[in-house]
Amino acid sequence: MSGATIEVLYFAQVAEHMGTRRETLALAAPTTAAQWLADLVARCPALAPAERLKLAVNQEHVDHRATIRPGDEVAVFEPVTGG
Amino acid sequence: MVVVQTADFDPAALYAALQARAGDAAGATVSFIGTVRDYAPGETTRSLFLDHYPGMCEREIQALCDTAAQRWRILEATVVHRVGELALGDRIVFVGVASAHRGDAFRACEYIIDALKTRAPFWKRETLTSGRAFWVRQDEADAHKTAQWDTRTPHHES
Repeated sequence: MSGATIEVLYFAQVAEHMGTRRETLALAAPTTAAQWLADLVARCPALAPAERLKLAVNQEHVDHRATIRPGDEVAVFEPVTGG
Repeated sequence: MVVVQTADFDPAALYAALQARAGDAAGATVSFIGTVRDYAPGETTRSLFLDHYPGMCEREIQALCDTAAQRWRILEATVVHRVGELALGDRIVFVGVASAHRGDAFRACEYIIDALKTRAPFWKRETLTSGRAFWVRQDEADAHKTAQWDTRTPHHES
């Protein structure tokens, strides 16, 4: 049944808001990143506004028009601050 | 060479290893070292904690080094970035670029550190001497600097 789920990783402040760094979520069919993020923010309003959140799918930066598919590794985070 | 580690690094050793890899054609080596500074105005920084996305960090930084090698004539590049708990004054990041010529080495080194700041998945949480802690916000000037590299014509292609 691994094809009907996604592995979701949270980092930094997003992880603090979510109360976890990793979870497996059901995803029956492909969806847009924007829709998926809107659902996540509805579940955890502290993450708002969704427009500020950054996403990586399978360890590649993507914008909110990207598609998330069952089996993907999805990371949610705020703008990076390394260096 | 791209390494993400909790331990401190020895800049002299990294420089020597970079030069050894680059060989006799390396007439110019430019390095950048970032250290933990006092970020917050009015209050003193006690420490930083760096969160990161293992795997993606290394891939993103390697991709930046590959892009630098396409845009400028460089021989070798080294990036070492630390994560975890760091104290004020500690080294965070080393970027070293070896090239035949200083112009390419300077530009490639600056490009890599600029782009790293907006693309590599690291996040800093700052703790002040008062005990107050917060996640550092991305500097808009950093984002602007990286965007500028996308439109700038590399020297050797002009």
